[in-house]
Amino acid sequence: MPSATLLGQSVLSGVFIGALYGLLGLGLSLSWGMLRQVNLAHFALAFLGAYVTFQLAAVAKIDPFVTLAIVAPAFFVLGMALHWFFLRFSVTLLNTLLVTFGITSIIEAGIQWYWTADFHRMENAYAAVRWKLGPLFLALTDVITLGFALALALGAWAVLRFTDLGKAIRATTEDAPIAAAFGVNEKLLGFLVSGFAASVAAVAGLCLALNHTLAPVQIYAWMGVVFAAVMMGGLGRPIGPLVAGIVIGVSEAVTMAVTNPTWAPLVSFSLLIVILLLRPARFS
Amino acid sequence: MKIDRRRALAAGGALLSAMALPGVLRAQGKPIRIGSTLPLTGPLASLAIIHKVTAEICVENLNKRGGLLGRPVEWVLRDDQSKPELTRTLYEQLITADTVDLIQSPYATASILAAMGVAQRYNKVLLHTSFGIPKLAKYDMQFQTAGSPFDPENVWPNHIFDAAAKLPKPPKTIAIVTSKFPSVHAISVGAREVMKKRGLTEVLHLEYEFGNRDYGAIASRVKEANPDFLWGGTNGIDPVLMLEAMKKIDYRPPAQAHLFPAPGPMLKLPEAQGALALTTFESHAPFTDDPVIAQFVKTYGERAQQAGIPYTSVDLQSAIMYASWQVLESAVTATKSLDDKTIGAWLKKNEVKTLFGTLRWNGPQNYVEGADLYKVKQLQQGKWVVVHPTQWAAPGAKLT
Amino acid sequence: MKTALAVCAVVLCAVPFVGLPAFYESFLYLLLSAIVLATSWNLLSGYSGYFSFGHGAFFGVGVYTTAALAGKLGWPFLWTLPLAALAATVLGVALGAVVFRVRALRGELFALLSLAITFVLSTIALNTVDGGPGIQVMVDMPKIAPTASGVLYLLMLAAAALTLWTAYAMYHSRFGTGLFAIHDDEDVAEVMGVPTYRFKLAAFAISCALAGLAGGIHAIFVSYVTVAETFSIALAVNVVLMSALGGTRHWLGPAVGAIAITMLLYAFTSGNAAVVGRALSGLILIVVIVAMPAGILGQILKRFRREPPARPRPEAILTDLHHAKKSGEPLLVVRGVAKAFKGVQALAGVDLDIRRGEILGLVGPNGSGKSTLINVVSGHYAVDRGSIRFEGEELVGTPAHRIARAGIARTYQIPRPFQQLTVLQNIALRPMFGQVVMDRASAEAEAWRWLEFTNLADKAYRYPGELNLHQRKFLELARALASRPRLLFLDEVLSGLTPAEMDGALRLIRAIRDQGATIVFVEHVMRAVMEVTDRVAVLTYGRAIAEGAPAEVMRHPDVVSAYLGAAHV
Repeated sequence: MPSATLLGQSVLSGVFIGALYGLLGLGLSLSWGMLRQVNLAHFALAFLGAYVTFQLAAVAKIDPFVTLAIVAPAFFVLGMALHWFFLRFSVTLLNTLLVTFGITSIIEAGIQWYWTADFHRMENAYAAVRWKLGPLFLALTDVITLGFALALALGAWAVLRFTDLGKAIRATTEDAPIAAAFGVNEKLLGFLVSGFAASVAAVAGLCLALNHTLAPVQIYAWMGVVFAAVMMGGLGRPIGPLVAGIVIGVSEAVTMAVTNPTWAPLVSFSLLIVILLLRPARFS
Repeated sequence: MKIDRRRALAAGGALLSAMALPGVLRAQGKPIRIGSTLPLTGPLASLAIIHKVTAEICVENLNKRGGLLGRPVEWVLRDDQSKPELTRTLYEQLITADTVDLIQSPYATASILAAMGVAQRYNKVLLHTSFGIPKLAKYDMQFQTAGSPFDPENVWPNHIFDAAAKLPKPPKTIAIVTSKFPSVHAISVGAREVMKKRGLTEVLHLEYEFGNRDYGAIASRVKEANPDFLWGGTNGIDPVLMLEAMKKIDYRPPAQAHLFPAPGPMLKLPEAQGALALTTFESHAPFTDDPVIAQFVKTYGERAQQAGIPYTSVDLQSAIMYASWQVLESAVTATKSLDDKTIGAWLKKNEVKTLFGTLRWNGPQNYVEGADLYKVKQLQQGKWVVVHPTQWAAPGAKLT
Repeated sequence: MKTALAVCAVVLCAVPFVGLPAFYESFLYLLLSAIVLATSWNLLSGYSGYFSFGHGAFFGVGVYTTAALAGKLGWPFLWTLPLAALAATVLGVALGAVVFRVRALRGELFALLSLAITFVLSTIALNTVDGGPGIQVMVDMPKIAPTASGVLYLLMLAAAALTLWTAYAMYHSRFGTGLFAIHDDEDVAEVMGVPTYRFKLAAFAISCALAGLAGGIHAIFVSYVTVAETFSIALAVNVVLMSALGGTRHWLGPAVGAIAITMLLYAFTSGNAAVVGRALSGLILIVVIVAMPAGILGQILKRFRREPPARPRPEAILTDLHHAKKSGEPLLVVRGVAKAFKGVQALAGVDLDIRRGEILGLVGPNGSGKSTLINVVSGHYAVDRGSIRFEGEELVGTPAHRIARAGIARTYQIPRPFQQLTVLQNIALRPMFGQVVMDRASAEAEAWRWLEFTNLADKAYRYPGELNLHQRKFLELARALASRPRLLFLDEVLSGLTPAEMDGALRLIRAIRDQGATIVFVEHVMRAVMEVTDRVAVLTYGRAIAEGAPAEVMRHPDVVSAYLGAAHV
C-alpha cells in the first residue's frame, strides 16, 4: 500500500499535468463550442509558441515571461486571421478540421525546418525553484502552469457569466440570427473569441517550454488526451477541460502510484467511459 | 594492449591517408546507386537527421577516394515518414522501380523488419544499423552494423552492472523503471534475470507506456523505494523527463543507468550527471586516434551545426551509420562485386574493422552470441565519456 | 455501365500478373487500404452523423487478432481474416449496444467514447496480447499471385470491392435512407418509422467489421506489429480527413478522398524535399477543401447535377389500405395519461376517445398540452403514467418507430423536414418504414402520389431549404400522409397561411378523411375548427375538460372561462 506522501505527491503531479491539458483544451473548447470551428491547429500553435519562447529565451536571453508580452498579442492577431479565413470562405464545421489539419502540417514543417526534429530544452532559472508543503513538494513551473490554467479558465467563465460581453457571446452561440436582431455584433465577437483562444495557446506554449522538452512530433502526442478532456468538459465551457483534464491526470497518476504504471491510460479512459454512460445528460 | 591497439589504429590511419593523398583518384563511369529510406518526418525524425548527415559525409568521402570499384556512388534516399508500411513500399520502389544496385539501412526495428521482408523477397543483402530485437531477424542475408550481440538482454545488463560494480559505491539495491518500447523492454526483462544471478536486490519494478507524459508518480515511487541504483529501460527523452520529475521532489538517484538516452538534453541537467548509458562510440581517444575518424568527427561537427542539430558530437547513432558504410565499402571492395549473394557470403566468413571495433557475423542468425562492441559511457561534467571496458575508456577516465 | 465495371474488374485483378514492379502493387495496396478504411468509417459516421474517432481501435483489433493467431499461434492466415473482422464487430456491437441506447449520447459524446475506446484497447493490447515486444507475423502466402505484394494487393482489392459494394448497396437501400434521415433529425426519423437503434447498431457493426478485415490484412503487410504504431491517433484523424475531402454524403466520396490523400502523402517521399513536402501537402489540402466545400466528389456532383426528367404521372392507384370504414367505434382510447417536464405538469391525467373516421378538433389555450399529447401518442416522449390503446393494442412503452408502423402519423407544428434529403426523399421515407414496408421504388411511386395531392410535384427534386413556409407545411402534410396512416395528428397546419391557402388546406383535410383516415386536428383558428371538425375536445392545464359537437362544446361554460376567464358581464 503506497504511503500518504506518495499518494499525495502523485495526486499533485496529476493535478499539474491536468492543468496543462486544461490550458491546451481551453482555446480548443471555446472555438469549437462558440464558433463551431474544430481547431486542430491549436496544438501546433501552442508548440509554435513554445518554440518561439524557447528561441527568445535561449538566444535573445529574454526572460520567458516577458516573451509572453510579445507572443500573446502576436498570436491574438493570428487567431483573428484564422477566424477571418474561416468567415471569408464560409468553412463548415467538418471542413475546419481539414483546414486546421493542413495548417498543422505547415506549422510542423516550419518548426522542423527551423529548429530541426531534434530535442530542445529551454534552460531557465525557474526550473530550479521548488517549495515544500508539509511532506509534499511543489515546483514553481508546475504552480505557474496551474495558476495560468485556473486564471484563464475562471476568467473566461466569469466573463461569459457576468459581463455583457459574455452574455452577448453566449447569445450568439445559441442563436446567432436572433442575437443579431438584438444588436449583437456576431463578427466582432467571433474575432474576439478566436483571438483569445489563440493567445491562450501562447500561454500554453510558455508552460510547455517551461516544463517539457520540445520536439515537433509532440504536437500529436497531446491531441488524443486533450480532445478527450475537451469533449468531456463540454464544448464552450471554459472550466470543463480543466476539470476533465485534472480528472484524467489524477486518475492516471494514482494508478501509476498504486500499480504498474503501464495500466494508467486504461483506468483514466475507462473512468471516462463509465462517467459518460452514467451521467450523459450533464455533458450535452 | 591499449597501446598496441592505439599504435595499430594510428598506423592504419597513416596508411589510409597516405593512400588518399597523392592525387585524388577520380571516380568514373556509371554511378553505383545505393538506396535507403530514413524517417525524415514523423516521430523518429530526430534520429534520422543524424543518420542523414553521417551518410552524406560517408558517400562524399567514398567518392573522394574513388568511389566503389572505380565508379561514383549515388545515394538514393527516401522519406518513410516513420511508417513501416511506407518503408516496405519504398524499398520495393527502390529495388523494383528505381533498380538500385544495393540497399542500405532504414532506421529502427519496425522499419528494418519491413525492409528485411522486401530484401528477402528480392535476395538483396540488407545491412542495418538499429535493429533492437536480434532474435526477430530471421533473414539469411541481413547483417547488423551496430555491433549488437545476439542476446542483448543478457550481454547489455552485464555491461552495465560490470560498470556499476566499479563505481566508488557499488550498488546492491536496484529499482527498475522501463518503458514498453519493444527493444528496451526486452533488455529490461533480461536485466531482471541478470540481477538475480549477480545477487543484486530488486526493490522496485515499474513499466510505463512509451509516450507517457506524467512521471510524477513514478518519481515518487522511486524516491520512496530508495534504491542504490536506478535502471532506466528508457530511450529518447524519457530519461530527462523522469529526472526532471525527480528533481521536482528533491530526489536524485545515487547512481543510474539509461539504455539509449538522447545525448543532448541530458548534458546540462545536474541530476543526470554520473548517469551510465550504452554506446558504441564517443568522440574522444582512443576512438579518435585514427586521423580519418578524427577528421570525420570534425566534419560531422561542422555539418551538424550547419543543419541546426543541437548535439554536434559523433556518438552511437552517427557511428552505427558510419560503420554501415564502412562495411559496405569493405565488402564490395573485397569481392570486387555488386552481387548480393557474393557480398553476403563474404560477410559471413570475414570481419570488418570499423570505427568502434571489429564486426563479425559468424554466429546465430549472423550475430555473435555473448559478445558485442558496446561500451558503457558516463555523463561527467557535461560530457559523455566511455568508462568501460577500460581498453576503450577515455584516457584517465574513472567511474565517478 | 455494367460492361465498364466488368472491364475495370478484370484490369484490376490482372495487375499482379502483368509483371509490374512489386512497388506498384504495394502502392496500390496502400491506396486500397485507405479506401476501405475511409469508406467503412463513412458508413456510420458520414451517413448517420455519428462521428467516430475510434476507427483506429477496430482496425487495431483486426491487426492484433491476425497477429496473435497467425504470428503467435501459427494459424493459416486466411482463416484469421474473418476472425479479425468478427472480433472487431463483436467489440463494436458491444459498445454500440450500450451507447446507442442512451438517448443523450449524441454528437461529441459518441466521438469522445470512441476515442476513449482506442486508448483502452491499446493499453489492454500492450499489456496482454503484445506484452511489449510487438508481434512478428511471418507467414506463408497463399500462391494466388506471383509475388507476395501481389497477394496482398489482391486481398485488399477484394476487401475494397466488398466495402464499396456495401457502401453502394446501403446508399441505395432503405437502410441508407434511414441513416441519412437519422443524420438530419434522429427524433423525427424515429417517429417516421425508422428503427434508429437497430440501424445505427447495424451500420456500426458493418463499419467495424470492414475495419477489422483491413487490419487483419495489414498485419501481414507490415509483418511486425507494435501497439504504438497500430493504435495511433493518426488513423482516426485520417479517415475523417479522407471522407470529408471526398464528400461524406455519397457512397463513393470517401474513396475519392482516400485516393487524393494517399497520392498527396506519396508525392513527397523524396529524401530532399521531405520537410517542404509536408508543408506543401498541408497547403494543398487547405486549397482543395476551400475550393470544394462539399468535398471533391460532392462538388463535382453539384456542378453536374441534372434534374431528372419529370416523371410521368403515375396512375393513381387508389388501393385502399384502410380497414372497412366503420365509423363511430373508438380508434384511440387515452386514459389517465400524465407527463411532467422538470416540474411542469404538461399532461395531468387526460381522458380522451377518438372515433374511427372522424375529424376531431383538439383545442385549448396555449400551454394546455396539445402538442405534448401528440408527442406522447406518437412516441416522441414517454408517458409518466396512463394508458393509450390503439385498436385495442397498448402503445405505452412501444418504441416510436413501431407506433409509426402501427399506422399513426403526425405533423410538426414547426416543420422539421430532413434538410439534406430532397422533397421526394422526405416523403418517400415514411412508406419505406410504414405499415406496409415498401422498397425504395414503390415508396417513391407512392410519394409521387402525395406530391400531386399536395401540389408539390414540381418541387420534387428540390431541398426543403428552397421551399417557402406554405410549401414546407404541405411537405409536412405529405410526409405524414405518405404512409396512409389510420390516425393522423395535424399540429397547427394552418398557422401562417393566408385565408385562400387555408381553404385549400381544409379541402385537402376533408379529402384525406374521405379516403379513410381518422384525423385529430389541433388548431387555434376557430373558423377552421368549426368548419371541418365532427367533434371537438378541449384541453386546459393538461386535462380534457369537454368533448362533443363543436357548437355545444364552444358554448360550454368551462370552456368559455378557460379561454376568456370569468365572465363579468
